[in-house]
Order: sequence, then C-alpha cells, then structure tokens
Amino acid sequence: MLKKIKGRVWKLGNNIDTDIIYPGKYLPIIEAKEMALHALEGYDKDFPKKIKKGDVIVAGANFGCGSSREQAATSLKHAGIACIVAKSFSRIFFRNAINQGLALVISKEAHRLVKEGEEVTIDFAKGKLSTQKGETDFPPLPEMVMGILDDGGLIAHTRKRLGIAKADSKQ
Amino acid sequence: MKIPHKKELIELQKRYRTDKRIGEALGGVPAYLVAYWRRKKKIGRYNYPKYSEEQIKELWERLGDDAKAGRELGIRSHAFRRWRKRYKLKEKPVQLKLEQLKLELDINFNLLRKSMRYTIAQNLLASRAGKKKVEVGEIVEVEPDLAMSHDNAGLVIKQFRQIGVEKVWNNKKIVIPLDHRAPAESEKTAIAHKSIREFVREQEIRNFYDIREGVCHQVVVEKAHLLPGQLAVGTDSHTTSYGCIGAVSTGIGATEMAVVWATGRIWLLVPETIKITIDGKLPKGVYAKDVILNLAKRLTVEGANYKAIEFYGSTVKEMSISERFTLSNLSMEMGAKFAVVPFDETAQTYLVGRTNKNYEPVFAGEEAEYVQEVELRVERMVPQVACPDNVDNVKNVAEVTRVRIDQVVLGSCTNGRLDDLEIAAKILKGRKVHLDVRMLVIPASRSIYLQAMEKGFLRDFIEAGCVVLNPGCGPCLGAHQGILAPGERCLATTNRNFKGRMGSPEAEVYLGSPATAAASAIRGRITDPREFL
Repeated sequence: MLKKIKGRVWKLGNNIDTDIIYPGKYLPIIEAKEMALHALEGYDKDFPKKIKKGDVIVAGANFGCGSSREQAATSLKHAGIACIVAKSFSRIFFRNAINQGLALVISKEAHRLVKEGEEVTIDFAKGKLSTQKGETDFPPLPEMVMGILDDGGLIAHTRKRLGIAKADSKQ
Repeated sequence: MKIPHKKELIELQKRYRTDKRIGEALGGVPAYLVAYWRRKKKIGRYNYPKYSEEQIKELWERLGDDAKAGRELGIRSHAFRRWRKRYKLKEKPVQLKLEQLKLELDINFNLLRKSMRYTIAQNLLASRAGKKKVEVGEIVEVEPDLAMSHDNAGLVIKQFRQIGVEKVWNNKKIVIPLDHRAPAESEKTAIAHKSIREFVREQEIRNFYDIREGVCHQVVVEKAHLLPGQLAVGTDSHTTSYGCIGAVSTGIGATEMAVVWATGRIWLLVPETIKITIDGKLPKGVYAKDVILNLAKRLTVEGANYKAIEFYGSTVKEMSISERFTLSNLSMEMGAKFAVVPFDETAQTYLVGRTNKNYEPVFAGEEAEYVQEVELRVERMVPQVACPDNVDNVKNVAEVTRVRIDQVVLGSCTNGRLDDLEIAAKILKGRKVHLDVRMLVIPASRSIYLQAMEKGFLRDFIEAGCVVLNPGCGPCLGAHQGILAPGERCLATTNRNFKGRMGSPEAEVYLGSPATAAASAIRGRITDPREFL
C-alpha cells in the first residue's frame, strides 16, 4: 500500500500538454528507459538530466492534456518522478499514469503552497500534503484506482486478477 | 315544393351522399322524406359512399391498423373499422402483422426513453454493463464493441506480451490501421510496423489496414467498423470522432489497450454530460471547424474534461457526417470523454451501403440531466483561428491577418475529407500558392484520395503549386512529412497547435478551416477566406 512520499518539487504551470511532456518525434521508442531520457523535454531541454529519483511535480490545471500517448506518463515514471500533484489532470493522462503505477494527487491548494525546489511530504493514508508554508488535505482516489496503483500498475493488476503467476512475468 | 326527378335525386346523392344532407341542401326537407322519395324511385341508400372500397382496402393493406388508417382519413378508429367491415376486410396480411410487431416495439422504446432521465453516456454504459441504469460518478466495467489502435499497436503488443495471455479476446473487434508514420519514416518505425504485421497474422486480426488506407478514425467510420449506439475505445485521443454517427467512443493508453485485448474489459467512470445546442444557418465562409473552435474558446481546453458532450440544434441537424466528424473530433481538445451527435436520418443514410448489420441507436431521455447547457447561434459568426500554443486561444481571422506563414497543411482526421478538399480546391483553382509558402494536401483516406482525383481537385491543387501527399496523418503530430524549423509558422486544418507539435518548439501552429487554409496559402499570410468566395 502506497503510504508516504517525500520529494523535491518541480513546479509547473497550467495545461502542460503531452507534446511538452513527450514530443511526438520520440513516439517510435518502446523501451521505457529510453523514453525517460526525453521526459518533459519540450518544457526544458535538460529537464531529464535534472530529475532525481523521488522528485515530485506540482502543476496547475489540466496536466497532461492532449494526446493519448502513455509515453508521457511512462517517461516521467521512469525518469524518477514519484508523484504528480495537480489542480486537475486530463482524463487520458490520469488513466495512463495510474496504469503505469505513477501516483497522482489532485489538490487545488498545493500549487499555491509549494516553492520550486523545496521538499514536500505526501501522506496517502491520511490524505495530507505538507509543505514549509503549511498543510493541505486532498481527497483519496477511488478504491479500485488505488488497487491498480498498489499492484504497481495495470499489467501487474491484470495478471493478479487473471491469476497468472508472478514467476513468468518477464519475457 | 317540387319533388326531384330520379336523375336529379341521383345527382344530389352523388354530391351530398346522405339523406340528411340532401334534405338540408333542398332547404330543410327532413331525412325521412328524402328516404321515402328514394325508396319510391328505387334508389339505394349508399350508392356513393364517402370512401370507396379501393381506398379503404389500400389503407388497410398498407397500414393494417384501424387507428392509423383512420388518422389518414381524419376519422376515428371505430369509424374506420365500420368502413372496413362494410367492405368485408377482416384478416391482416401476415407480412403486415410482423411489421406491426416491430412498430409497436419501436413505440414502446420511445415511450420508455421519454420517461427516462438519463444521458446518452448513461444509457449506453448502463446497457453495456447489463444494468437498468447508472448514475454519474459510478465506475462500470464494460466490453467495448471496437478496440482501435494505429502505429502505437507496437507498444500495445509489447504490453500485451507482458500480461501473459496467448490470444486476444476477440480478433474481430480489433481494428488496426497504420497512419501516423506511413510509410515508415525511420528504422524504429519500420521495426514497429513489422512487429504489428506479424502480430496481426499470428492473431488472425482481419481488420488490419496497412499504410495504404488512411487516417485511422476516417477508416473506422468510412468502413463502418463501429455503428450507432456502440462503444469504442482507441489508443488515440481523437477516438471521440465516432460520435459523428451516434456512437460512443473514447481514447485510452497503450497499456490499457493491452488489457482490453487480453480481457475484453475496461473500467469507465460514468461521466457528466454537457449539452451543446447550435442553431442558425452558417454564413458564407464559416464552417464546422469555425464553430467548434469558437466553442473551444468559450469552454476552454479543460471545459469538458472527464465529461461527455451531446450536440443538438438546427445547425448540427443540417450538418453532413463529415462536418459532424469535425465537431466530435475537436471536442477532445476541450477534454471531452465522449462527443456524440445523436443518431438521425443523416447517419442512417450515411450507413446505407456501408453495413448490412443491425444496430440500435442510443438516445438521451427527454429529462436527462446535464451538468451544463451551452447555446450557440451561428448566423453572425466569422471565420475563426486558434493561435499558438493552445486550441482555446481562438481569435477572429480578421485579427491576425498580419501573420506571415511558411507552411499550410490541409488534411488530418479533423479536415481531410472530400468536402474539405472541395472547399479548398475551389478557392485555389486558377490561383497560385504564394511562393514563400509550402502547401501540403493530405486526403484523409484512400477512398477520399480517389474521389478527389476523379473530381479533379488533385489537379487543381497540383496546378496551384500544392504538394499532395499520401493518405495518413502527415505532419500533424510532428512525425514526418513537413516538420517545422525554429521560427517557422504554419496554418493547419489539423487539431492541435501545442508548442513543438509539428516539429521545433520554437515554431508556431495556427488552426483554421480548409477555406482559411487555402486563402492563406494564396496570400502568404493568414487570410479571411471570404475574400475569395
């Protein structure tokens, strides 16, 4: 069960679209590790290098709008982003992130409270996000969505549901 | 008073039919007296009935229902029955009985939906989930009628293999057209395409369209892979387009699709619905694209996030499937989950000859609850253009006519159909594309390509100096065939103008209608198409 995340903040604005997160020219890449090298490249060319494992993105409204390309979520997850906090997520990005096992928090207040570079603590069990400036509560995700996250993504979740043993997972 | 002669009385009967009326016509002679004269002169009572035997027989055979036939004559059902008995018409033809049953079913269905307070999304998801009703916010697990993937099927296949299921759940429900990078622009894509072709053969997926066929969404609609009242998911955000024929469809990611391929199931949240009513006649030079861009400006890029949209109104009613396609397609840019134009005669006509399967359209109840109702009148609308870097940054074309452009793209799933090409070809015919502009024309499908050739549009384009490319996505998503350099500007009929969408992040993309595209190509700057109409 996802409990607590502590991470350094990257603060982004509204409408961070999928072409900013993962430009279309990299779509033929199918290896997640290679995708990670281009995460948020449209925002800052050197962003993938600056990310450290466990970092947190705090963004404005409509994060991940645009394309259905799940590489947007996959690249962020494999670049080391532990959690994305946003005022709202676009529908398809929301699903893609959950399916990749990337934790999401919907919070209207967080963006106002955090400073770029500071460390925030996200407590999923209590639904609390703490910054230097103060704390804010966020609503829990639906139970079934949390179930997918807890299993580490939709593939693992489906394997569990279908009763396929873990042993033959890597082909 | 003078008693009429036999001939006179017959004439009167022809004209007035009954004794009572004859009496009235003669100035108040009582009916019994007329009857007495008649009997004396041996004239029958109803020689000239109001409705002839042929007339009643024809109605009865055609409609087979007293009430309906009566309604045609303006009389009640029992009156019609009396006429029918008089002509000894008792048995209904067998054929008619069957049709009658169907009709009654229809009527019952109509009554049913009138009493319901649910939207199209609710009605459809409820039926697919095997429930009587579903409420907004509920999560349901459903089996889609269609699972569409394009070039990203390569990634879907990779994820599918990880699940560990051997065979796809239903190889008839999977459709894969290759369009995003067609033909392959790099070795990586070539490898992905190859893996897709191998997978398709292995799994016996028949509905695979190699690079020759066109943009996936156009192919799905054109070949009627999805029918009204059905549910589709696709690994492309613009899957919402199938709403143009009254279907319900939405985009998902590759991993999610892999699970659909493996299990045939997907969870969906029952969405709230926005009702958009568009009324009025479109003025000259204003098209569906301008209407939907204007709506995007009003609702913003997240205005319909997680929500379904239903389109109504006289303007929508008048629109062709192609124009409705543009509405449903661009609704995604407001975040919409579904964007449906309810099924009607236009959709029905479109499907004639494309499918022989039965389908059951889904409608909203009259008391359906909408989260928002938007009304738009179009009589005074002017051509619209979405400016960089968001689809809701919409202005009147007249406000940006100083913007010089380097490239024009006419095509895509948004505006690459025959009517779009026709509008642009008419403007370009006999004119020349500006020397500083590269104009790319990309028909949305092979069939459109052929028709455009037969109608001479391709000739018009090529003579004007356009470059006509093969059916597919072209440079829309910045993959190939017209990538922009830093500092370049493009006016496209496509659906997205995000930073870096068509190549360099320092390039700019403007979105407009095919007419605006053609006019701008001629002038070398963004131009109001009405100057050429």
